[in-house]
Amino acid sequence: MYKISRIVALVSALIPASLMAQSIEGVVKNSEGNAVKGALITVEGTSAKTLTNSDGRFVFNDLKAGLNELHISASGFAHLYQDIVLTEDGVEALALTLIRSPIEVIDIVGTPIHMSVMESASPVSVLSGETLRRQQASTLGDTLEKLPGVQSNFHGNVASTPIIRGLSGPRVLIAQNGLDVSDVSRVGPDHSVATEASTSQQIEVLRGPATLFYGSGAIGGVVNVVDGRVPTDNTTRGEWLLETNSADEKKLASFNVTTGYESFGFYADGFWHESEDYEVPVEAEVEEEEHDHEEEESHDYVVENSSEKSNGFTLGASYLFDAGYVGVAVEQFNREYGIPGHSHDGDVNVYADLEQTRIQLLSEINIQSEWINQVNVRGAYTDYEHSEIENDAVGTLFENDTHEIKVDVLHNPLSDWNGGFSLHFKNSDISAVGEEAFTPPSKSETIALALMEEKHFGDVLLQFGARIERVTIDADDVLLPVLEAHEHEEEEEDEHDHDHGDEETATRVFDVAHKFTPVSLSAGLVWDFTPGYNIGLSVSRSERAPSAAELLSFGAHIGTNSYEVGALFALDGEEIGLSGETIDLETANNIDLTLRKTQGDVAFVFNAFYNQVDNYYYQTNTGLFVESSHDHDDEHDHDHDHDAEEEEHTDELPVYIFETDDVVLNGFEVQVAWQATDTIKATVFSDFVRARLKDGGNLPRTSPLRFGTQFAYVDDSLTAHLDVTRYQSQDHVATDETSTAGYTMVDASVSYDLPVSNQDIMVYLKGTNLTDTEARVHTSFIKDIAPRPGRSFAVGIRGNF
Amino acid sequence: MTSTRKLSLLAATIGALLLTGCGDAETTIIEKESIEVDDSTEDDHDHSDDEYLIDSLGRLAVLTANSSTAIYDLDDGSELDTFSLTYASSTLTSSADYRYAVIASRSDDYVGFIDSGMWREDHGEHLHDYEQGPAMSDYEITGSRPTHIVKHDGQMAIFFDGDADSSTPASVQVVSDTDISGETSVLPTLNYTVNMHGAVEPKDDYLLSTVRRDDAESTSVAKILPDQVALYHLHDDEYEQEQVLDVLCPDLHGGAQNETYAVFGCSDGVLIAHEHDDEYEAEKIVNIDVLDSLRIGTIYGHEESDTFIGIAAGHDAGESILIKIAPEDSEMEALEWQPETDASPVAYGFSYEGDMFLVLDSQGYLNILSAHDHDGETHWELEQSFDISDEDIANMPDGMNFSMTVAQNGNYVYVSDPIAEHVLQIDLETIEVVSDIELGFAAASISWLGVAEEHDH
Repeated sequence: MYKISRIVALVSALIPASLMAQSIEGVVKNSEGNAVKGALITVEGTSAKTLTNSDGRFVFNDLKAGLNELHISASGFAHLYQDIVLTEDGVEALALTLIRSPIEVIDIVGTPIHMSVMESASPVSVLSGETLRRQQASTLGDTLEKLPGVQSNFHGNVASTPIIRGLSGPRVLIAQNGLDVSDVSRVGPDHSVATEASTSQQIEVLRGPATLFYGSGAIGGVVNVVDGRVPTDNTTRGEWLLETNSADEKKLASFNVTTGYESFGFYADGFWHESEDYEVPVEAEVEEEEHDHEEEESHDYVVENSSEKSNGFTLGASYLFDAGYVGVAVEQFNREYGIPGHSHDGDVNVYADLEQTRIQLLSEINIQSEWINQVNVRGAYTDYEHSEIENDAVGTLFENDTHEIKVDVLHNPLSDWNGGFSLHFKNSDISAVGEEAFTPPSKSETIALALMEEKHFGDVLLQFGARIERVTIDADDVLLPVLEAHEHEEEEEDEHDHDHGDEETATRVFDVAHKFTPVSLSAGLVWDFTPGYNIGLSVSRSERAPSAAELLSFGAHIGTNSYEVGALFALDGEEIGLSGETIDLETANNIDLTLRKTQGDVAFVFNAFYNQVDNYYYQTNTGLFVESSHDHDDEHDHDHDHDAEEEEHTDELPVYIFETDDVVLNGFEVQVAWQATDTIKATVFSDFVRARLKDGGNLPRTSPLRFGTQFAYVDDSLTAHLDVTRYQSQDHVATDETSTAGYTMVDASVSYDLPVSNQDIMVYLKGTNLTDTEARVHTSFIKDIAPRPGRSFAVGIRGNF
Repeated sequence: MTSTRKLSLLAATIGALLLTGCGDAETTIIEKESIEVDDSTEDDHDHSDDEYLIDSLGRLAVLTANSSTAIYDLDDGSELDTFSLTYASSTLTSSADYRYAVIASRSDDYVGFIDSGMWREDHGEHLHDYEQGPAMSDYEITGSRPTHIVKHDGQMAIFFDGDADSSTPASVQVVSDTDISGETSVLPTLNYTVNMHGAVEPKDDYLLSTVRRDDAESTSVAKILPDQVALYHLHDDEYEQEQVLDVLCPDLHGGAQNETYAVFGCSDGVLIAHEHDDEYEAEKIVNIDVLDSLRIGTIYGHEESDTFIGIAAGHDAGESILIKIAPEDSEMEALEWQPETDASPVAYGFSYEGDMFLVLDSQGYLNILSAHDHDGETHWELEQSFDISDEDIANMPDGMNFSMTVAQNGNYVYVSDPIAEHVLQIDLETIEVVSDIELGFAAASISWLGVAEEHDH
């Protein structure tokens, strides 16, 4: 094989391109010998792709002589790889047989090596097509939460973000078409992610080697939201949807359409949704035990300040040519949402107004050169702004201006190694101005080189990735105020005589420059040890540079109701000063084992992982409190009759400081699917993560053990789903954290294809939390004030053309 | 084979990178000068939070004749920075909380801002002052023909007259200093359906703003002038009409408000509006005889002053009559002191505590009137006519005049003398010049900026 390909490579290098055109013809059938229509066939390392017709037939022209690797995928079937060696003038005729897979197999786009839930060394998950539409929610976290290994930090329906195997925040990178989403959602749980599920095509959750093409920060994983904003072909197609939901009176409308003319492709999408404060089955706020039980007169409980409205549109255009495409898209994204629990007292509702403009340039060019076969260039400029508004005045303004460019170069097979390298540059200016500006303005810059390769050795596929990065964080004005913090035990009259005498009273100012060189390595293998089964093993060592928020913060963060102090500082007695400690990289050593049954009526995926993170940056409670009396009345306030109760909002905020410790996260995910008949499928799944400090103690807000079943009935026109998910109680809690009771969510949906015209039109009814149970989410910062919505029904209509 | 060599080269490169930089983390911390004023040893038990405050006279924006604006430091009279303006015909005022110089160009539909660099934030437990270099703000407010800009209680309302020629209707936009610093994209706006030369008074979530009726109905002689006032309430960035006051005000021009009343000038008197049981009530104080054919077209008010000063002037800028308006007593009366016939007033203003009214005239006199209480009635009496210029008035540059601006953090007024090319700081307590700032050019107008002190109630 090796020898042949070398000779072929040599020969093909000598022959002019025009002579190399070869064709393959073939037919794709299932194991019963029936034609499979609409199967997608791609040729690895090229942009050639085609669909089978109703007879299961396909034809490829213009292939080059030599080894071609075909990749055949179709919904409901396991993927098939077929290596074909094309000779100079031979026309191949192939008969290919696909084998059923009850677990849907969807490829990850945009990685130089192909990856899917069934075939990669480390687990990846993808949400696309019907499943994505069924599970899409206003927030990214809620959209993805039914994927094994992914839970939501449920922030009152408005700002939820995904937690991957117990990791979130700066450890999970969120990307839009492979480029950083560039919002401030990694900084605060109350900050919404600036992406929209309803116009996306697929959402991928990556772990292991594949993440190295995105960034070193992603030691927890990467969530990549993919849409077709830059069209890669000019076929006219589109999708539209209208939906309304009862618990939050949500109204959703979205569409996307792609079309083209000659060498140009055009794309447009738009969405609009608006929802009110959502209803909950119990009083939103957890009551103090001794509450007089007034006869429950009314059940109209809502989570205050959880309304949301969003809208946005994207316009894209691309130039399509034989060797690829280049295109540009502009997106405007607006969201205004209440921040439950962000109010300092009952009357003041705080809301966030988020606005982002994103310009992306995406290009993929196939190059017929000796070494390189494809160059992918992605670039983005995003201008993000998010103001937190209280009393109609901007309290805090977060801004993030990011420039990013990524060039992926994929090479021709080199000694049968497939892969490529990626050069990546990113520059972000982040600032927070205003009362809650707990992080000083900073500039972060990343330059990175990443490499990803894979090779088949018989039954074993070896994949590896490496990334080296230079990360700089510069902040000119890091402030260290003298913090008047106190412990709480001392009751009302804490007679501190503040004889500070000649102590330092000034705020110290620092010019801080960090320079990190994180290096991450990952290797994995997939061994098809017996037909229809494989074992995946992946080991990685990833280093992460801490973020500006983790290092430089100093101030009140009302989103988490705490006073946050970065790792640059340390507590000395009751005073906070500069930490003498070295600011070090966070290092994750991860081992991941996967066993899969990929074909047949029963398929399964078992994952187990062990992840040891040294120098894990996390917040610890200092036991101290600072006063944060927010006076909401401005000076000249003569008219508000606030005199009644001189409101002196003296909220006391607990002081949390970032420290580093070694932590261990381990757990598993299990997914078993049984295709009982052609129309009925049952799935059971479970996931679990245990997150603890090496020296004892737990990490806070760790997702509880979860298991559930999904029943699906799918025939030509009727689809029905019943999902039952049990979240166990969580008692592995951090200090000062309370345990959370378990609950069972029952969701069901039915959809029906309307037999009309040439469009596929589908009406659907979805019910969520059908038992109307009180569900408090342990991973949520605001679990005590915002449980999940109560029973809710959604109806919608959706079309494809 | 080259392939293997290339691979090994790549491997070597990566290897080298690993060796040189593997897991490197380097932090450089340079301590800069501490912010002394920003002392945080705030003692909850002793609210002497002066230590966060900056003691400064403030800053001065000076509009030049050649369309630029300079910002001066009033503590040492030094020029901090100069900004060239986009448009030639600009006017200068300050923002509602005096942080920004507001540059408006009516003919260019433009309102822009220069950050004085001095402002105060309310940090809850203390007030926090900032002092930075001035900077031109990127923020602009556009609208058709911004004309009258009024400020009240932290809000600045801009009345855009609109344009009959292009059938652009009038509108009002309300902006606070926080909006300017946060570059708020959608400001609270009142949209009219017709253009007018109107007037507006902002108050909390409300606007008292003028209404131009159909020309057939309007009692105004000049139809572009409105003849009604309505109350508008803010809903989702948009002011909606809630109530039209039932007193007509033909040829309405000029308005002002104090803590309780809003006053608008009409051809037949002044319209007084005040809130009563959640509703606005209106009444008219009719013109007194001394006004003869003149009407009050400009009104000055101060939060702390019970009485308003109305200015009735002939169109040829000949005589001006100063009228005291006392809404509580529903009466108006001419002030005892009136400008000299040969000295036409060029600027008016209340002192920052509202107990003095200043009239700067074309002869270079600052006429200082002060309020006296006689049997419960306020009387405005001349304290002194203070000669601020030694220059020959005949040398006044074309199109220029004396101008003044009142400090909001002390009893000072700043007067610009375009002939002497300087600005004088005058202490109103002692009525003397306490310092001067040499500009070296003739100022078209000046505006005080900085941190306003609260008034004692």
